[in-house]
Order: sequence, then structure tokens, then C-alpha cells
Amino acid sequence: MQPPSSTSNSEFDFERVVPALPWRGLALSVLAAAALATFAWELTARGLGYGPTLNDTSDLWADRRKAVQPDSLVIVGDSRAWFDLDLDVMQASLGQRPIQLALPGSCGYPVLAELADDPKFHGRVVASFVPGMWLAPGGPLLENSNKALKRYRDWNLAQRAGHQLGMLLEERLAFLKEEDLALGKLLDHLPIPDRAGFRAPPLLPPYFQTVDRERRARMVPACAQPGPLNDRVKNGWLPLFTPPPPPPNVPPEQFMKGMLAAIDKRYKDTAAAVAKIRARGGEVVFVRFPMTGPLKEHEDRQTPRERTWNRLLQETKTAGVHFEDHPELASFDCPEYSHLSAPDSVEFTKRLMPHLQAALKAAPR
Amino acid sequence: MLFNSLTFIVFFSVVLLAFWNLRNWELRKNLLLVASYLFYGAWNPPFALLLFGTTALDFWLGARMAEATTPGARRSWLIVSLASNLSSLGFFKYGNFLLENFTWLAAQAGVTYVAPKLDIFLPVGISFYTLHSLSYTLDIYRGAIQPTRSLRDFALAVSFFPQLVAGPIVRAADFLPQCAAPPVWSEPRFWWGLLLMSLGLFEKVVLADTLLAPTADAVFAHPAPLVPLDAWTGVLAFAGQIFFDFAGYSTCAIGAALMLGFHLRDNFLFPYAAVGFSDFWRRWHISLSTFLRDYLYIPLGGNRAGAALAARNLVIVMFIGGLWHGAAWTFVVWGLLHGVYLVLEHFLRSLWKDAAWTDSLGARLAGAAITFVGVCVAWVFFRATDFGTAARLLGSMFGQIPGGNLLLPSRQLLFVGVVMALLLLAHWRLRDTTIEAAVARLPRVVVALLWILMVVAVIFAQSNATAFIYFQF
Repeated sequence: MQPPSSTSNSEFDFERVVPALPWRGLALSVLAAAALATFAWELTARGLGYGPTLNDTSDLWADRRKAVQPDSLVIVGDSRAWFDLDLDVMQASLGQRPIQLALPGSCGYPVLAELADDPKFHGRVVASFVPGMWLAPGGPLLENSNKALKRYRDWNLAQRAGHQLGMLLEERLAFLKEEDLALGKLLDHLPIPDRAGFRAPPLLPPYFQTVDRERRARMVPACAQPGPLNDRVKNGWLPLFTPPPPPPNVPPEQFMKGMLAAIDKRYKDTAAAVAKIRARGGEVVFVRFPMTGPLKEHEDRQTPRERTWNRLLQETKTAGVHFEDHPELASFDCPEYSHLSAPDSVEFTKRLMPHLQAALKAAPR
Repeated sequence: MLFNSLTFIVFFSVVLLAFWNLRNWELRKNLLLVASYLFYGAWNPPFALLLFGTTALDFWLGARMAEATTPGARRSWLIVSLASNLSSLGFFKYGNFLLENFTWLAAQAGVTYVAPKLDIFLPVGISFYTLHSLSYTLDIYRGAIQPTRSLRDFALAVSFFPQLVAGPIVRAADFLPQCAAPPVWSEPRFWWGLLLMSLGLFEKVVLADTLLAPTADAVFAHPAPLVPLDAWTGVLAFAGQIFFDFAGYSTCAIGAALMLGFHLRDNFLFPYAAVGFSDFWRRWHISLSTFLRDYLYIPLGGNRAGAALAARNLVIVMFIGGLWHGAAWTFVVWGLLHGVYLVLEHFLRSLWKDAAWTDSLGARLAGAAITFVGVCVAWVFFRATDFGTAARLLGSMFGQIPGGNLLLPSRQLLFVGVVMALLLLAHWRLRDTTIEAAVARLPRVVVALLWILMVVAVIFAQSNATAFIYFQF
């Protein structure tokens, strides 16, 4: 007997059953109800003070990293460089449109190292230095940078297309705020008491900002003035900047020894990255951005300038700009202790530019 | 391209619109083939060439095999097909694994050998499309089908985008007959397909990614011992996550295919209500377990040569099944563990085959509970990145490591508890029926409300297009 032919469907006896339901009416009512619920949620989000703006996704970062040319002016580091630098002012002063690669809640070192390892790159880098973040030996601060870098390296056509479509929606819909209004984030805020002895990790403050396609972040007015949002952000910093206790399965002395060794290594690796960029004709300048209030006291106590900033400049042989060295930079008030308001960021950048230009020229070789 | 991405929504809408508006069946199939290669090439265009190479070679080998006049010649063509497919899979998926193990073995023999680290990028879905393609030559060799004369149809069978990268593993014998004549437009079938896609996306985006993955990720990444409650919650979360992730993908694939008029078989049938491990494998990743049964277990002799050889064959099959999932010894242990479970079960069944009590509700419930716990213990090896993590977690689960940490906030314990309780209840209630029959029994208003809930939850979840777990296999 001949085996069944694979070009005939006469032997294919499997057919999926379709439940007998009034499908058209059902589907149309579902589409209508879903559209209505989405519209209601959009109105609610706007009522809560949210507006349409981009999410700062790994795709947006990868898009910016793709824009880096061999001689680009690049900003790396943490959220202070992200909030406090105005790209238009920098372009007017330095003659080049900067590319914003600073990532909120991240250690900037992996991005600097990646630029240093790019054999074509010989541009200028402005790097924000927050000691507790730049020197982080591991954890979420490094993971955030590495996640963005991985997206850049693996970014495929489908993801690029999805990013373009996503931006079209995010620029029009306020409820698309994955850091605050995604279902998972909303569930995180359910008031469910924890077990005795449970140590809850600090929650990230809401990054209440607008972001454009160049990743220019601007603090929204509601965060820049006293009020509930300002309080939420302010209260978030100290727990986040407090180092976690040593793990219980490692003796404290051994843990501290490992931490110090990791910090020493980070200084050396940073110096090596700076040297690589310089060897190709590029330059790196570190900047210490303004901070105020209890957060400044905390950082000064935990990471004193002489042990961190001074050591960084010494080991990397760079000329940095520290806001405290210049009265016109130190006079700004950070409304939530860590970042400048949108108008102040423009003024701050104007005042920073002469010092940045000088540092770029004066860097010792 | 991921089902849970905006790109796919646009892509699929365009494909659907064009497909149902083209009159000519040949043009429609050309459209699907181009769409499938676009779908795949969007990850990494050069790998589309590898996919086509695998397809074209098996097409040609299938024809040679059918023309061969002697059993020896037929076997030779099959060996060429097996060798080409498995060597491609072996190189891309197992190259570094083999080198690492060779280096270790050499070191044990006192030979210092530093293996070069091969910079191999694993083509997404290679484990799936290799089996799609291989099923064709294997079925021709077995005399189950005749070769198709259309390379286009065969290429479509291998690359049909709904099932290309993460299954179900659709055999050419199931797909090629559907290429013979165009499907007739059916509006109920179209909307049912859309409902299945909604269900699949809800499983993936809301249940797996939003409610369960954070707990599973936290527990498996924790570097220290945990209290038993947290360890069990993490493992249960992973048991739920991998089901919703993988079954969600399969449900999306079945729904998408149905919207195009193609029929794919079920890949999951309420597996966590399985009573016994053989029942589990009749319900979990059915397309893989039937593939292994038909093309490996039965050719090895199955259970035809006595209990001892049947046990050996089961262990071999599950060893291969474990290795198919990933190039790591943890996957092998996961497979072997299931092999041992199956052997034990066969032994107990032979021991109790005449005992009436085994059919009682209590015994069936106990059997389901034991099966589920056994499956969860095996998941520890599947998810853990190394044996140290697996041992620490198992020790924590069974209270063997004192002083474990409290890791999970109460809300995560609650989410996992509620989702898993509902999942187990649903599987138990539906274990002897089908999703179609269950939906048909529900009042219309309940179907509408559930469908609305799923769609709204998917929109509100704001998925950032995370990859499905099975893409890495």
C-alpha cells in the first residue's frame, strides 16, 4: 500500500473545534469595552498628573548609543548628568551636539569602558561621578548599565521597529509609564504588611520627568515644588544611598576586604579606560553635579571628597569639575536633594560650560 | 519578532489582511513563506539562510530517499539527514559545552588543554525548526508519508511563523496536507483564534511575567539559603511561570495559525493535574514528547522487550529530552530525574495493576500531588544555573539548611499562592476536557467578561516585550 501523500489533505483528519458562540457580537463588545477601559485609564493617569512622554527604555538608550560617531561628544554616568545637563546649551558652547548616555540608577563605568573598547571612538566624554554609584562593585547599579549595553549589542530589526512604534504611542498616551503605572508596579504598592524580620529593599523613587527622543530628561514642575511628589522623591534617596548590610554568610572583615579590593580595581579600570580613549586622541572629564540637604550630608559622610573625588582625578590624571569649587555652580538648590529643576538645569549648564571647556583643554596627559 | 510586541501586532495585521484578500492559493502560500522568513530574519538575517539551507537539504534528501530502491540506500539518505541536522544543532547549541567537557576530561587524564572559547551565537528556535525539518525525512523513511514535490510548501511547513521559534513542533505530515487546498474563510474560527491569542498573551504577559517571574527570579538568584516558605514559593512561581510562558506561546501559535485557517494540535493539556509522570508527559509539551516517543523510544524498542529494556529506553529518551532543552548538565539531570520518575511509576503500576483503590478519588488526588511535587523538584535543576544553587534551594525547601533568609515580601507570597492555587484548581477541573468544550459551556457574558479582563490586563501590564523562556532552547 502506498503511504499517504503529503500533498493531499485527504488524510489530514485533525481540525480544531470552534465553540458555538455569537462570535462577532462577542468580539466587538470586547474590543469596545477594552477601548473604553483604556480610555478611562488614560484619563485617570492624566488626572494623577502624568503626561505623555517617552519611557527611558533600553531601546531608547541603544538608539542613542547607535548615534555615537567616532568623534562624538558623549555624556555618561548617572541621573544627575541626565537631569542637569541641557543639550542645546552644550551644543552652543562646545560646537557639537552631545549624545546623552547617562543612565538613571546606574554605574557609569561599564559605558565608559565600552566606549574605551570601541577602537573607532576618539571623541570627548563628560562623565558624572557619584562615588557610591561609580564605584559600586556589583548589583543593580551595574546591571542597569549592562542591560542597556546588552540591548545595544543585540538590538535586532524587530526591536528597532517596536521601539519606533512604541515612541509613537508613548508620545501620545499618558498611562504608558512602565516605571510607575505598569500593572506590576501598581501591584507593588498594595498595602500588604510584611512578615516580622523581613527587610524590604528600598523602593525606587518615582522618576517624575519628561524624556525626549534624545534622552533629555526634565524634572516636571510638580516635583520641583513642595508637595506630595516632591516628598516621595526626597524620602527615597537616603535608603537608596545607604549600603546594604554584609551578607550573613560572609564574615564582615572578609566582606569589607573584598569591597575595598573591588573599589581599588574600579579606580584602576577607570584610569585604564580613560587612557585608552586619550591614546586615540579623545578626552574624558569627570563632573560632580550639585546635591543638597540631607543627601549631601550623607554622601559627604559616606564618601568624603578626599577619598573619592580627589583619588579619581589623581588616578585617572584628569581635570574634573566639582560643583563645590565654583560658587556659581554651588548656589543651586536641588528641589528633591539630588537633581536640578528643568529651568535650573539650563542655567547650570550655561555656568558649567566655561569650566568644562577649561577642563577639556587643561587635562594633563 | 515576539508575539508580545507592537511590531508583531502590525506585522500580523498586514499578513492577515493580505492573506485573506489574495484570491490565488499559491500567492497566499508565497506570502506566508515570505512573512515567515521576515519574522525569523528580524532577529538575525543571516540565520534565515541557515534555516533555508536545512530546509532545502532535507527536501532534497526526502526525494532521494523516496527514489531509493533498497533499504540500505534509504537508510543512508536518512543518516545524511540526521547527521546534517544534528551536526548543525550540535555546532551551534552544544559546541562550547562539548569543548568545556572535553577540556575537563582531558584535565582528569592529566592532559592540559585550553579549549578556545568559540564565539557562537545560537540561532533562535534552532531546536524547534530542526525537529520540524527532521520529522519530514524520518516520516518518509518510515513510509508514513510521500515526499512533497513543492520546495515552497515544505519550506513553509518548516518555517510557518506561528510555530517557527518555540513550537509546537509541527510535523511535516500534519502541515503539508493543509497546503494542498486553501482554507475556507470562517468568521467564528477567526475570532476564536483571536481569543486564543488573547489567552496566550495574558498567560505570558500578566501571569508569567508580571505576577510570577519576579518571585522566581529573586529566589533563584539569591546567593544564600532561604526559609522553606520562600524557597518553595520561588519554585512554585517558576513552575507557574514556565507553564504560562510556554503554554502561552503555544496558545498564541495555535490562535495565530487558526486565524490564517491552519490547524495545529494542542501542546499542553492541563499538565499540573497529571496523575503520574507518564500522564504528565501526555499533557506537557505534547509535540516534543510524542516526537521523542515516535522517533526515539519506539525505534529503541519501547516496552516490547521487557521491563528492564523499557526502563533503559525511558532513561535514554529523557536524557536526550533534557539535553535538547539546553547545553548544561543541569538540564541533563532534569531529564534523568524525569526518566527515574517514569521508571519508578512503571514499576509501581505493575505492582498495583489489580488494586482497585488506585482508582479512588483520594488515590488520584494523592497521585496528582506527588506528581506535582516531583515535577517541582525537577524544575529546580531546570531553572538553577548551577548545581550549587540547586542544592542550596533543595536544602532550603526541605529544611535542611538552618538560618535561611526571609527574601520575599508578603505580596509576592500572596500572588504566587493565589495564582498557583487557581492554576491547580483549573487544571484539576479541566483535566478530562478541552478548552473548547469548557468555553462552550460557559455563559456568553462570562466569556465576554473573561476576554475583556484578559485584553485589558495585557494592555495595562505594559509589556516591554520580554522573550519567551523557550526561545533560548
